[in-house]
Amino acid sequence: MGRGRVEKEQVPVERLRESIASAMESGFSHLVTITCVDLGDGNLELVYHLSSLDGAVRHLSVRVGGKSPAVPSLAQLLPGSSFYERENRDLFGVRIEGDGSPGGRFILPDCYPESAPPPLLKSVSAAQVRELLESAACARDSYFSVGAPLSPESVVVPFGPYHPALKEPEHIALVVEGERIRKAFLRIGFVHRGIEKAAESRTFLRDVFLLERVCGICSTHHAWTFVEAVESLLGVEPPSRAAFLRTLIAELERIHSHALWLGLVGYWAGFETLFMWVWGLREAVMDILEDATGNRVHKSFVTIGGVRRDIPDEKVRGYARKLAEVGRGISTIMEEVLSNDQFVERTRGVGRYTLEQARKFCAVGPVRRAAGDPYDIRKIEPYGAYDKVDFPVAVTQEGDVLNLVKIRLEELLTSIQIISQLAEKLPSGNPVPARYFMGTVPEGEACARTEAPRGELFYYVKSDNKHNPYRVKIRTPTIPNIQLAASLLEGAMLSDLPLIVTSIDPCFSCMDRVLVIRDGSSHVLTFEELARMRGGAR
Amino acid sequence: MPAGPLGYRRRSLWVYHFNSGGCNGCDIEFVAALTPRYDLERLGVQLVPSPRHADVLVVTGPITRMVMDALRTVYDQMPEPKLVIAFGTCACSGGIFADCYNIVGGADKVVPVNVKIPGCPARPGMLVKVLAKLYGVRERGQGAG
Repeated sequence: MGRGRVEKEQVPVERLRESIASAMESGFSHLVTITCVDLGDGNLELVYHLSSLDGAVRHLSVRVGGKSPAVPSLAQLLPGSSFYERENRDLFGVRIEGDGSPGGRFILPDCYPESAPPPLLKSVSAAQVRELLESAACARDSYFSVGAPLSPESVVVPFGPYHPALKEPEHIALVVEGERIRKAFLRIGFVHRGIEKAAESRTFLRDVFLLERVCGICSTHHAWTFVEAVESLLGVEPPSRAAFLRTLIAELERIHSHALWLGLVGYWAGFETLFMWVWGLREAVMDILEDATGNRVHKSFVTIGGVRRDIPDEKVRGYARKLAEVGRGISTIMEEVLSNDQFVERTRGVGRYTLEQARKFCAVGPVRRAAGDPYDIRKIEPYGAYDKVDFPVAVTQEGDVLNLVKIRLEELLTSIQIISQLAEKLPSGNPVPARYFMGTVPEGEACARTEAPRGELFYYVKSDNKHNPYRVKIRTPTIPNIQLAASLLEGAMLSDLPLIVTSIDPCFSCMDRVLVIRDGSSHVLTFEELARMRGGAR
Repeated sequence: MPAGPLGYRRRSLWVYHFNSGGCNGCDIEFVAALTPRYDLERLGVQLVPSPRHADVLVVTGPITRMVMDALRTVYDQMPEPKLVIAFGTCACSGGIFADCYNIVGGADKVVPVNVKIPGCPARPGMLVKVLAKLYGVRERGQGAG
């Protein structure tokens, strides 16, 4: 199972690639993530979490040590592994052998010196990293570097980090020929805050509040997944009423998240009425969330051992009634949107991808389901009260923006159905623990997965009998999905870019790296050099 | 005509939104202020895609090391007179992330901040209230002028 205590299979590093290949052949084809842990004795442990499509998970563990720890790259086996590996390279200094990916920083600022210790090692303190970053001499971060041959017609268009078509900072360097994008290079890391390090220094209870703020849209899912992992370390089972209430809030969150996404897609497709319309409807859900939990966004509803406050039965029934109205609104929108020729033609076939591509990049959530895999953690590995309710998993046969709209519209209606079933079946009892959890957590490792609005969200927690966790690893759904989106940009029209990037519902709490291509030589350009190039070499 | 904080340019405030590394909570609440329930546009407020057209810069989120320079550039590009609003606790002080290694602190570490709106996230209604005040709307009745 992908939930609960982690049982690892030790693999020698030289046999890693073949072990993963054979695991993939035996059905464990989805690489959830690669967790790196500093064991504190000079060795690093890398855990490869492999999932099958029906919910089973295997954890392969590799130990590396020495001055310059290295693991073989899996990029040839599974291109989606690249971002996971580069993240570990930046944060732990694990060298990746033979990945062919560009060097340099991935998630950390470029000015963080190559010789400086990787920030997530146990011997390095957050204050030390901060000092290094403050004293680092860099006036400008260089977002560009040069790498592969480019035809004379090509132009490099820098896109972002601040651009009207982006709601969050991210940089994409686009190699463009006319209106066609030939190559797209991603540089994330603008919103990297260092949460995994901060989580190690706070108590488990305070971590719930911190981790909730990884994302302001799926905040309950982050808190819940972390709490789920901690609860399995403690051997605590939350009361069933708490499981129902958590599910209720999580589904409300999915409704507001999908609704805001739908609005944004409408906006980028030039259908601003849809944006206003859906966001107007969404306020009804925000009111319910505020009424139920006390806040619109960061709800702090889930706590270790239960939920923070009870919601009376009649209120839950009232929410279900209100949501039925919202559901009618959504059905109208669905009819309106899918019968609107302009919108359908604008989105059909845009950002098209196959199931094979989605699997290759380990895509998750609606992005995976649009391509044809019914990969929904709520169904394949039920948590909370999902095994007590009956719901369909929406699937289409090919990924494109239109199908992603259809899937998310279906899921909006599904969530409303789930909530009305929850209201009917809500068990009695006290879901609030007698006191907040303040103790220590026994030694062990656990992981948990939930289906956040954007897809599979994964947490790995290692504890060592202290008040604070030894290591917390977060894999947000956007990391695999953005790799797919970047590959889809190649060959697309420039004007489709905002639509394609928005279609995967990105949430850039992640990272990246950008290249400009020229003459086959690789070299990092500064803004000044780029300005000179533009002036001189036209 | 009484001079507001923006002098002669006191009418329709044009706003540029800068996400400096936030969790999306404040960003979404900021966008919500533009949508039907709060409808900032009735005050003449418009979200503009370029800082060169903006009177007000709204910063959301703690300032990460990587966006520090970008924030300064964006601020420098805005024409005078200009105002900066730090929207949300993180933009005010760094908030819950203040001691994270990649965080510089609040927006006031990089640019002068005129108005701070705390809250995690700050409510859209507060932004409407602040902008209305800047615009010169009295508690009741029509706008000044």
